[in-house]
Amino acid sequence: MSIPNESFADRFYRGLLRILPFDFRSEFGDDMEATFRQQRVATARRQDSMGIARMWWTTITDIVRMAPREHVSVLAHDTQFALRMMRKNLGYTLAAVLILGLGIGANTSIFSVVNSVLLRPLPYAHGNQLVILRQQATRAGVTDMPFSVSDINDYRQRNRSLSAIVEYHAMTFTLLGGTEPHRVRTGVVSAGFFQFLGVQPVLGRTFEPDDERAGAVPVLILSYEFWKKQERGDPNIIGKKYQMNDRAHLVIGVLPAIPQYPNENDVYMTTTSCPFRMRPAFIANRGARMMRVFGRLKPGVTLDQARADLGSIAGQLEKEYPASYTEKTGYGIVPLALREELTHEARPLLWTLLGAAAFVLLIACANVANLILARMARRERELTIRTAMGAGAGRLLRQLLTESLLLALLAAGVGIAFAYGSMGLLTSFAGQLTPRAREISVDGWVLGFAVVCATLTTVLCGSLAAIHTRGNMAASLKDEGSQSAPRASRSLVRSALITAQVAFSYMLLIGAGLMVNSLIQLQRVNPGFVPQHVFAVGVDLNFTKYPDSQSQRMAARRLIERIQPLPGVLSVAVSSSFPMDADNVGGGRPLRFRAFGDNRPDTEMPPVQSVRRVTPEYFRTVGIPLITGRAFRDSDTEESPLVVLVNQSMARRTWKNEDAVGKRITFDGEHFMEIVGVVGDVREFGPREDAPVQLYRPMMQDPFAGNVLVRTAADPELLIPAVRRAVLEANPESAVVKVKTLDEARSEAVASPRTTAQLFGLFAALALVIAVAGIGSMLALWVRQRMREIGIRIALGAAPSDILSTVLRQGMVLVALGVACGFGGALALTRLLKKLLFEVTPTDAPTYAVVSALLLAAALLACWVPARRAARIDPQTALRTE
Amino acid sequence: MSESHAPLTAAMFNVLITLADGEKHGYAILKEVEEQTAGEVQLSTGTLYGIIKRLLSDGLIVESRHRPVEDDDSRRRYYRLTEDGRQVAVVEAIRMEKLLARARSKRLLKAFKPA
Repeated sequence: MSIPNESFADRFYRGLLRILPFDFRSEFGDDMEATFRQQRVATARRQDSMGIARMWWTTITDIVRMAPREHVSVLAHDTQFALRMMRKNLGYTLAAVLILGLGIGANTSIFSVVNSVLLRPLPYAHGNQLVILRQQATRAGVTDMPFSVSDINDYRQRNRSLSAIVEYHAMTFTLLGGTEPHRVRTGVVSAGFFQFLGVQPVLGRTFEPDDERAGAVPVLILSYEFWKKQERGDPNIIGKKYQMNDRAHLVIGVLPAIPQYPNENDVYMTTTSCPFRMRPAFIANRGARMMRVFGRLKPGVTLDQARADLGSIAGQLEKEYPASYTEKTGYGIVPLALREELTHEARPLLWTLLGAAAFVLLIACANVANLILARMARRERELTIRTAMGAGAGRLLRQLLTESLLLALLAAGVGIAFAYGSMGLLTSFAGQLTPRAREISVDGWVLGFAVVCATLTTVLCGSLAAIHTRGNMAASLKDEGSQSAPRASRSLVRSALITAQVAFSYMLLIGAGLMVNSLIQLQRVNPGFVPQHVFAVGVDLNFTKYPDSQSQRMAARRLIERIQPLPGVLSVAVSSSFPMDADNVGGGRPLRFRAFGDNRPDTEMPPVQSVRRVTPEYFRTVGIPLITGRAFRDSDTEESPLVVLVNQSMARRTWKNEDAVGKRITFDGEHFMEIVGVVGDVREFGPREDAPVQLYRPMMQDPFAGNVLVRTAADPELLIPAVRRAVLEANPESAVVKVKTLDEARSEAVASPRTTAQLFGLFAALALVIAVAGIGSMLALWVRQRMREIGIRIALGAAPSDILSTVLRQGMVLVALGVACGFGGALALTRLLKKLLFEVTPTDAPTYAVVSALLLAAALLACWVPARRAARIDPQTALRTE
Repeated sequence: MSESHAPLTAAMFNVLITLADGEKHGYAILKEVEEQTAGEVQLSTGTLYGIIKRLLSDGLIVESRHRPVEDDDSRRRYYRLTEDGRQVAVVEAIRMEKLLARARSKRLLKAFKPA
């Protein structure tokens, strides 16, 4: 409405007024302009340029000063009004806050994991430049070969792409000095390890080069948790001495409470303190590979450049030491970004879950938008009257947006509370996937995420409803009553929202159904042993007291002698490990064996993935069947001929249809062992992994006492304390590392897919409840709005069953449409789940059938309630209420 | 919506006094306040309309439908005191008079004898 010949000053003033709230401007803007024009003209006439400048100055500063105040006052007014409206409709408010809160909560919790695990940089100095180095022998199928001391020295001296290389390996030692021998997880590291990570100690100092000299005083750094727990946070801990590996170790520092990679450790020592790593024979042996190696990229060096640089060194080493790096094995080395390495397992799962949570939020949004629309129908006359009385359309729109923003903020509060509440659960879940799990926390980003979710939700729900209402405003006054049938356009929008909810719920249900189905398949897998009534006690023999085979043999014998006579023990065995032991992960360096008479070169020899040392009762205790031949006997001792048992996979792969019993094999080409029997396959590494090629040796011929296995007649829990005591009595100065029933071990092996299925199931259930409640309430409203019409139809002779089917059809048509859309969506999207599924295809027909039936049944139930009410309408009452 | 318990500012009181003898439009109020205070109080448009909004919502003034015939600008709005507004102005004037009397009794205002 610009006026011709308007001066620049007036136009400027009008522009200035734009910083005031819309309401203020629309009420006083014109008047202010008129007043200002007169004031300006009068001032120009009467005063000098100083006076004019003063007038402009006060005009501008006053308006700038009052603008925020006016905005706040409008907002406060809107908020007050919105709160009053929300209190008046408490049921609606609670429902909306709860539904949105659950949607936002699901997203916020999963996002807190995604944020901490996948998005945040590593909590170390220049975390994104850290790499883990992997030696590989690709042709032998080894992708993660540890490093020997010579490997490390050569790469350290020759590389040009890394600014630092540090080594690490984990050991467990028995620490003496407290009330009982304590087993400590020990990280053995280069002196520069903590500077490399940029870690500052909370007490004392970290390692210095002198600590790693040969013959230096052994020193220890304690982890924060160990210091707090074992030493009760003693501030005078520095200088304390621990007895370990028969030497005194001096405490020099305490680490801050940071996540520790690659493992959690209780204490750290330098490489020269580790009794294995310091042995001259170990250092000299290029093939003695035990350490992991980390590096930091020099500034500006990319991962690819580092790969090329290290690759050329690998080539040199191959030429210089052909015996240690045979070309045939496909020797190579790759640097991998540490961050990727720590999270790649969790990545697909977490994004999938975030996607599922996003679906829940979408459904919640659609539902709340519907609630708002339904309420609009009741508030329409109020809004219309307010419009008619002069409230600007913009004002009304903002009022509605304020209401939904308040709603969303409340919901964000619920969601954040939800995220805090579920943190423990999620941390333990993510702990199965990534060592970064302990970093999970609700930080500013997560709060921001919740608020952004809430704001988007507002925009989605609020503006949809508001825009819709605006469109209908004019028509509303013409209506004769509040119970008239709603206009077609609105019911179309609401129907679309219902259909969308059903479609998204269907997709989530399919996802959950597939996960659950996959979990059932996993649990149905025959593990190859009988886990019930068996438990394992992990034993750590203090190796300085049991340094050789003879003492280890004695230790194993003593364990069996002590435990066998305990009442309730059916059988007992000592072994190096047990099936589905979480500490016994696969991978590593496969051993190769040669069958007698096989003259192929070394590298073509078949690999064996697991060698287990066991006492004769192992198979009976764990429940592994003997297929052919014989089991071990007590007469298989160090003096008798070497014997082994193999599993079916090994027998089948090596000798096809021939009988394996009686065949002889060797690892070193010198000592041949005779296969005396074949035992059943065991899924050693969990139900998802096939049984490994496995071989068993008698404990007496190759001693390693790691675990005691006990089969009991009754509940194993009852016997655990007695066995534990017996273990400590049998070998003083050894430590009990862990106690676990094989049922627990088996259950833990599917913990990650189970939690995934549970979370997915939870989201799907949430979605189903929200969607079904949405259908029910929409239909109830539909019935309420058509009371009179239905009443007339009944009065004219319509049977209750007609009414029932009309209402049911109204709801179920939308549901069917939603299921159809959801079906298409599920077919397209579940392909993304393929990697997470075990022996279930993403288009598994039974899952689709069950989910469809479930959803239709739930929807039918939801529609049935309002339909029955409609059918029972008393026409007289219905007509009288008009 | 009543906020009439909020204290009057000097500027608000000035506006109420200005409207005591009949309806006026915005610029007339500005001009009169300035003239009657000998230029001591100079309201800007922003301040004035902030006050007008407050007084309107407190019910102390209303927009007057009666307009002088000679007025040509249709966009211009006129305001007049309500009965409430007049009451508030009177109460405020009495309060100030009492204050002034006390100040005089303490001989704070020797130089300014009442006429």
